[in-house]
Amino acid sequence: MSNTDDIRWITQLILLGDKNAFDKLVRKYQSPIRRFFLNLTVGDSQLSDDLAQETFIKAYLNISSFKGISGFSTWLYRIAYNVYYDSVRARKYYADIDEHVIDNQHQTQNEFSAEKLDIYKALNQLRKEEQTAVLLFYMEDKTHKEIAKIMNCPLGTVKTYILKGKERLGVYLTKQGYGN
Amino acid sequence: METKNADKMVKSFFAEYKQEIPDNGFTQRLMKKVPEQADHGWIVWIFAAIGISVSLYVGVNAGLIRQVVLLFDRIPLYYMLAGIFCFPIIGTMIYYAAQNKKYQII
Repeated sequence: MSNTDDIRWITQLILLGDKNAFDKLVRKYQSPIRRFFLNLTVGDSQLSDDLAQETFIKAYLNISSFKGISGFSTWLYRIAYNVYYDSVRARKYYADIDEHVIDNQHQTQNEFSAEKLDIYKALNQLRKEEQTAVLLFYMEDKTHKEIAKIMNCPLGTVKTYILKGKERLGVYLTKQGYGN
Repeated sequence: METKNADKMVKSFFAEYKQEIPDNGFTQRLMKKVPEQADHGWIVWIFAAIGISVSLYVGVNAGLIRQVVLLFDRIPLYYMLAGIFCFPIIGTMIYYAAQNKKYQII
C-alpha cells in the first residue's frame, strides 16, 4: 500500500465523509503507532492503546487540516507525539518524578512486554526527547527531517538527540554484553 | 565508543525488537468510537451540477449540441444500434472491475 492509497482514502474521507476510508487508514497505521506508544510507555499496552485511540480520533476530527505537505504518516506521528506529551504532562510523571517507579507501577504485563524488557531497560537510559527521536529513527525508520517535523524542533537538535541517544545506548548495550 | 560501531549495534538491537503488532480488534473498537460526521456528498453533486450547467451553456452557445444532433442524423442506423448495445456491456465490465477485482475483466 503506497502513499497514493493514503491520499485517495483521505480525499474520500474529507469529501464524502467516508468512514470506510478512515477504517483502511487505521488498519494500515495501527501497528506502527501502537508500537511507538508501547515503546514510549515502556510496555504499558493498555495506556498505549488508549493513546493510539486518541491519536486516531484526533486525526479523524482534524483530517481537513492535513495539507499533504508532509506525508500522512509524518502528520499522524506528529499528533501521536503531541498526544503522548499531553498525557505525560497530565499524568505528571515528567522530569521531577522518578520515572522508573512510575514505569513499574504502570507497566502492564502483556504478550509484548514480557519479552521486550531489554529494550525498555535500554530506552530508560535515555531522556524523553532522546527516546522519542531514537525510536522514530531506528524503530520507525523516519528521516531526520521527518523527525524534526514530528517533534517540531530544529534539524540540528534532532541530530543531537539521536547522536546522544545512540552513544548512551551504545555504552549501555556494551555493558550488557550485547553484540559480543 | 566509536560512533559507527554504536550505530551498527543500536540498529541491530532495534531491528531485533521491531515487530508488527496484530490488530486484535483495535480498529473495530476505534471505529465504534469515531463520531459521525456530516455527509459531504452534496459537495460532489454541486460540482457535478455546475459542471453540467457550464457544459450545456457552452455547448448550446457554441452550437456544439446542434452539431452532435446533426451528426447522429448522418450516422447509419446499424452503427448507432451497435454503439448503443455496447454501452450495457462496457458498463457492466467497468462495474465488475471496479467492484470486485477478482473478475479481472479489464
